[in-house]
Amino acid sequence: MPPRSKSGLIREDSAYHSFCGLACVGWLYQKIQDSFFLILGTHTCAHLLQNVLGVMVFARPRFAVALIEEGDLSRPQPDLQPLLDEIKANHQPSVIFLLSSCTPEVMKVEFQGLADALSTPELPVLFVPASGLDYTFSQAEDSVLQSLVPFCPTAPADDKRVVFLGSVNDMIADDFAAEAERLGIPVGGFLPAGRFNALPAIGPGTVIAPLQPYLAKVATRLNRERGATVLSSLFPFGPDGTRAFWEDLAAMFDKQVDLSAREAAAWERLREHTDLLRGKKVFFTADNLMELPLARFLRSAGCQVIECSSPYINRRFHARELAALEGVKIVEQPNFDRQLRDIAEVQPDLVISTMATTNPLIGQGVVAKWSTEFAFMPIHGWAGVNTLAGMFTQSLRRHAQLPPLDDPDWTAGFMPGVIPLETN
Amino acid sequence: MRLAYWMYEGTAHHGVGRIANSLRGVHAVFHAPQGDDYVNPIFTMLERSPDFPQMTTSLVSGRDLAQGTIQLPETLRQVEAKLHPELIVICASCSTTLLQEDLEQVADSAEIATEVLVYDANPYRMQETTAADGLFTTLVQRYARSQPLTRQPSVNLLGPASLGFHVRSDMIALRRMLAALGVEVNVVAPWGANLADLSRLPAAWVTLAPYRELGTEAARLLETQFGTPALLDAPIGVKPTQAWLERLVALLNEVGARNNGPAIRMPRLTAFSLDGMSAPSGVPWFARTADMESFSRKRAFAFGDATHTVGVIKFLRDELGMEIAGAGTYLKNQADWMRAQLADYLPNDLLVTDQFQEVANRIEQDMPDLVCGTQMERHSCRKLEVPCMVIAPPTHIENHLLGFYPFLGFAGADVIADRVYTTTKLGLEKHLIDLFGDAGLEYADEASGTEGHAANNGNGKEDAAVAVGGTTAQQPASTTPASDQLEWSPEAQAMLKKVPFFVRRKAQRNTEKFAQEHGYTTITPDVLRAAKEEIGG
Repeated sequence: MPPRSKSGLIREDSAYHSFCGLACVGWLYQKIQDSFFLILGTHTCAHLLQNVLGVMVFARPRFAVALIEEGDLSRPQPDLQPLLDEIKANHQPSVIFLLSSCTPEVMKVEFQGLADALSTPELPVLFVPASGLDYTFSQAEDSVLQSLVPFCPTAPADDKRVVFLGSVNDMIADDFAAEAERLGIPVGGFLPAGRFNALPAIGPGTVIAPLQPYLAKVATRLNRERGATVLSSLFPFGPDGTRAFWEDLAAMFDKQVDLSAREAAAWERLREHTDLLRGKKVFFTADNLMELPLARFLRSAGCQVIECSSPYINRRFHARELAALEGVKIVEQPNFDRQLRDIAEVQPDLVISTMATTNPLIGQGVVAKWSTEFAFMPIHGWAGVNTLAGMFTQSLRRHAQLPPLDDPDWTAGFMPGVIPLETN
Repeated sequence: MRLAYWMYEGTAHHGVGRIANSLRGVHAVFHAPQGDDYVNPIFTMLERSPDFPQMTTSLVSGRDLAQGTIQLPETLRQVEAKLHPELIVICASCSTTLLQEDLEQVADSAEIATEVLVYDANPYRMQETTAADGLFTTLVQRYARSQPLTRQPSVNLLGPASLGFHVRSDMIALRRMLAALGVEVNVVAPWGANLADLSRLPAAWVTLAPYRELGTEAARLLETQFGTPALLDAPIGVKPTQAWLERLVALLNEVGARNNGPAIRMPRLTAFSLDGMSAPSGVPWFARTADMESFSRKRAFAFGDATHTVGVIKFLRDELGMEIAGAGTYLKNQADWMRAQLADYLPNDLLVTDQFQEVANRIEQDMPDLVCGTQMERHSCRKLEVPCMVIAPPTHIENHLLGFYPFLGFAGADVIADRVYTTTKLGLEKHLIDLFGDAGLEYADEASGTEGHAANNGNGKEDAAVAVGGTTAQQPASTTPASDQLEWSPEAQAMLKKVPFFVRRKAQRNTEKFAQEHGYTTITPDVLRAAKEEIGG
């Protein structure tokens, strides 16, 4: 039996499939438009980025790998200055994020010192821990935002405003700013902002409202270093989460807001989705750290959440989501083989799983969907509820609409290692 | 140390994964941090694997490093218990290689019954291709057993592997030709072979290894150790395919004569067609049609792996009558062979580099009419507005299509010719536009303003327009000449706009080069005319 902690969480051995922290470059370099992401790493890191981001076409990508080759292995502190000059000349960034990776970690490169030595007042070089030894997927955004904290101006104590935490696209950001204004909540800005020199002021009066569920450390740090208050609520996904988020945020500004009618109207608009979702058994295998709020939304929508696994769970930062999932099997750092056995036994109606595992699951007759997609879709707030619900129902509808894959021959030849014997 | 953006080859452990995933009953275990598991979705997404790829990452975490723990023995036990493979191949990653652990000893400590091979794929000394070929050769060496030849004439087909370029279609094309000759396939490997198949390799009369990158070494090994003649040519193009068939028949008949086996006779050409009664390839007639006259002046540049780059360059010149602007490869260890193969074809040195920017610069200097390249060149050519078709890995998901698109054999010649034809600008149509201008086609210019945004939308759709080539979806053309030192007078700009849009960039570049060489700082209509006269338009 795996160890079960006091809080009811199960922790397994981390043998799940996901990307390392470097994957966050994919959206953060687009979000912070005057940035450059420099990864000190190997051919492996470059190959990873190419394959994770390969669907996109970048003429002049604002990210690159400072390539450690065999001759560099003997040098404990690499000389990155020439590469920095090249980046400056080609991209004129306002900030360079220096990301760690596995090999230099093993080499014991002293990253903070390296970044400090390269940093100038004109062009800060910020160390971002992101290696696959310790960080998974969206988790490294937490590292990036932490590196930005010293560059946020300090807000005076009587400046009571909300700063939204987490990278969302401009459209969602506009929605949140407008909604706050409607509720009479003064907005201090967003971390990250679209540009390095437009970071929000944060001080003792600031209320940090996390939009993404993978930013526990930076939230804690803003509380510790700036005295900011961190909103403890549901994350703004789905009608239930969005209502709680705004009501709780308003309460922090001493405003009593009742959004029950708005939530009911949103559920009403989702009826065609919730009719389909009601009673469905859903399984999250763990990938992008958004699993807790997504599972909570599905549960509110009438689904039976069989298992909600996530790479990392923070009992404080995720307290409200965990409470809302009371009774659901929640696993941190799950073992994928164990999950496969459970999936075979329970036969869920929908499995939310990683890029590595989704097609093979579908090949086994499971209705499965890429978890990665949720990291790139506008599913936040009131405006996002339809998109969010639709992502789940689209999978169910599509597979129901297609004729059954009624003969193993339909997948013959797609995978050489499982070709039936007689064909060779 | 250098800045790397995109890579041509994958890593060594990716090469190991490709071999393990090709074979039946073989499983790769990567002793690596979780991030190295990213190779797994390359298989499930590009190849759309309906089952789990035959590779497992045995996790190494920061805590393991700090505490000196190692998961590998437990992973090996789990893989054995769950999958029962015949062989487990263990390989380290770029970071764990540095730990200098004795993985043989660690594997022994797992005390499993399954055979284990620790493959030393040093990621700082080898990349995907070398690692894959090296592992495959090692396995052939390890399992091939001396045995009598098959009674009927038979061949091994070595080289097709998981994530190989168009290999499924190539195998179909080769199997069909072999069937037309009445030759049996003894073993295909690594694609779909198990260890018993590898042991049966020496039963074949002849080994075919059409890909320089994978299988050639194993074929040579079978030749030296078991006397199985190896045919190492790639049948790319019509004449090379005919020569390949003739050589194959000769080799089989030599073996047959020594062993009192049946003789093979070359059937008539139509026997190799899909319906058994037509030309096996349309290329010889197609290349002679009037339509193709204009292709004889088109200049092509090719960059990729060794097999496809050499095959395509020869095909473009020898069978479509095109001019060759140059060629290159990212496979440094194949460069000598390629130089020898292309000695009579290239007007300049073979470009050997693994940096895509150098290839893009070369294309920008040459501005050929057609580029045959990899996914990287397709990206570069999109920016440069040069027609490009993909002939070699690395690939994009769009290169993994469902239809029958071989590159080898007679059917392959048709596929390549079709792609050349639909990718490049057409002949008569181009004459018309050259003569009368592109009135009515100016919409292409208006579209240019959106190019930058389209590039960032991330859905890959904008690529589709490029993939179908220049004949239908016209590339957005920049109308505003831009250069650091040079200025274009409004009159010259207006004149430049009269140049057909698909050669406008080239004309602009040529004119600016001419102006710089002759010391002009402003380009006037006179300078433009002078440049046109000197360069020839």
